[in-house]
Amino acid sequence: MKRLHILLIGLFLISGCASAAYDRSLSNLPDYDVSVEIPNGWYKPNYEKRYLITKEAKATWLYVFIQQRPLDRSFKNTQKKLRKRMLPLESAGLIIDELSSDRRIMNFKVLENAPAIIDGQAGFKILFTHKNNRGFTYKTLYYGFISDNSFYNIRYSAGVPVYYDKGIDDFKRMLGSFKLK
Amino acid sequence: MKYFTIIIAVCFLVAACATPPPISVDEALTAKNEEKILWRRAQEEQQVIDNSGWLYRDPDLEIYLNEVAAKLKAFTDLPDISFDIKIIHDPNLNAFAFPNGVIYVHTGVLARMENEAQLAALLAHEMTHCTHRHSLRVLKSLKDRPAYMAIVQQSLKKIAMVQDLARILGVTGSMAAVTGYSREFEAEADRIGLDLMSKAGYDPRQALNLFEHLRQEIENEGIKESFFFGTHPNLQQRIENADHWIATEYSGKNAGLINSENFRSRLDKLVLANARLDLRMGRFDAAQRSVQNYLHRNQNDADAYYLLGEIFRQNGRKTDSKKAIKQYEKAIALDPSFPAPHKAMGLMHYKEGERLLAQKFFESCLLLSPDAPDKAYIQGYLQRCINNGEES
Repeated sequence: MKRLHILLIGLFLISGCASAAYDRSLSNLPDYDVSVEIPNGWYKPNYEKRYLITKEAKATWLYVFIQQRPLDRSFKNTQKKLRKRMLPLESAGLIIDELSSDRRIMNFKVLENAPAIIDGQAGFKILFTHKNNRGFTYKTLYYGFISDNSFYNIRYSAGVPVYYDKGIDDFKRMLGSFKLK
Repeated sequence: MKYFTIIIAVCFLVAACATPPPISVDEALTAKNEEKILWRRAQEEQQVIDNSGWLYRDPDLEIYLNEVAAKLKAFTDLPDISFDIKIIHDPNLNAFAFPNGVIYVHTGVLARMENEAQLAALLAHEMTHCTHRHSLRVLKSLKDRPAYMAIVQQSLKKIAMVQDLARILGVTGSMAAVTGYSREFEAEADRIGLDLMSKAGYDPRQALNLFEHLRQEIENEGIKESFFFGTHPNLQQRIENADHWIATEYSGKNAGLINSENFRSRLDKLVLANARLDLRMGRFDAAQRSVQNYLHRNQNDADAYYLLGEIFRQNGRKTDSKKAIKQYEKAIALDPSFPAPHKAMGLMHYKEGERLLAQKFFESCLLLSPDAPDKAYIQGYLQRCINNGEES
């Protein structure tokens, strides 16, 4: 009886892990007006409600986050709101304001802030680094643009110096495949 | 309302847990093992803050704040404690003390003070938390510390902004900065703080003015995360207490030192820096008030006019665009070599479809600042002006 219990618990754990491991249905994000091709090795954890895609890279994880948010939705830190007629320089400024007001983000430093085209739309890219409260440094490449009544963004984040480079090519492929439906 | 209820619950919990245990105020510091542990923990938490990039660095101002603290320290019951006052670049109305005498004051609260006596009131309050060992007394009084921390953390989880701060500050810091001490300890710090400032020659009535002035700010801005002035004994209660003590214990005494002019001139740079933070957080009215106050004293500061222009432009109200242009024009007239207002004018004209005007300002901006970090945007907009709106 005891062995049966152990076997059942084992099977339960394996099935749980297997269902959490891979969800490759992201090429059409069901709630968003967006589709993205996900390269091999990347997956969306089932526990994660947001469009966070991850990949293990030895001792760490690489992350890609995709978001479509209504323009009138408030940000967490700044009370400013994105507006339809904003230029990419202005919307990039607002995102930098939001990030630099976030108390979880320490030693925030913008390395690059430049215009970018995403799926033919005029937007921005911001490359920045920050530290978390344990002193680990992360590097993030953040692309965003405004279309109709939504703000779309796709970001790649990983620990530096070593890990960032491991996923950047995959991210650029994802960014290249980013399409408004 | 939900926020308010949670804060009240946390304060109640802290108040209920913390009955002052018998620790003598004049007992040697760190004599007890618990106090050594507490100080070590405080130092670790301070390292996180000091390395976070949040500190506002102005050596002259730090010296000034520490000089005011030194005047007060001479009258404390524990003269061997060493105080160190540091400034955090944060627009919220907060200040907090670690048990080892390190006190952090936010730019937000400093920027809203009117004189040195008000600064003395705030420092005297925080110094009393250290000299009267409020952290140690709270921790010693907790019968079940893990359960206490679990409940506090659970309550804080519901307030995202506070939770983030608590996670970064750690246990000692979040008790001082976020949850506050018990109602009794806060009242003790207010009462002894008044005594300290009075003995050091300051006008104790300025403590009351500070409370009232900040209450007005909190109400005007609908500020919710004002830990120091919002969550400790109800601000109204503190005002009433201070009013009563001043009327009974300090009436008839000489008014004492206020020192407004010296204070304001020393804090001018900080006021402008804090207005930038208010703007960053989208608190347009607070930012506007601060810059306008600053401009009353510094009428030839191009940077301040530019900042006021930015407040009007970023607020995005139609009626504000003319006001923004007026401020940018003043900034350019005062300092024609200052590139930022040129860029802002270019953006405003560009969005209005006034391509020739936009072109003129973008060109002057790039001429004045050829290596601007956002020059790629400006070059792109300029090219579109030259091509009459078409992509090149």
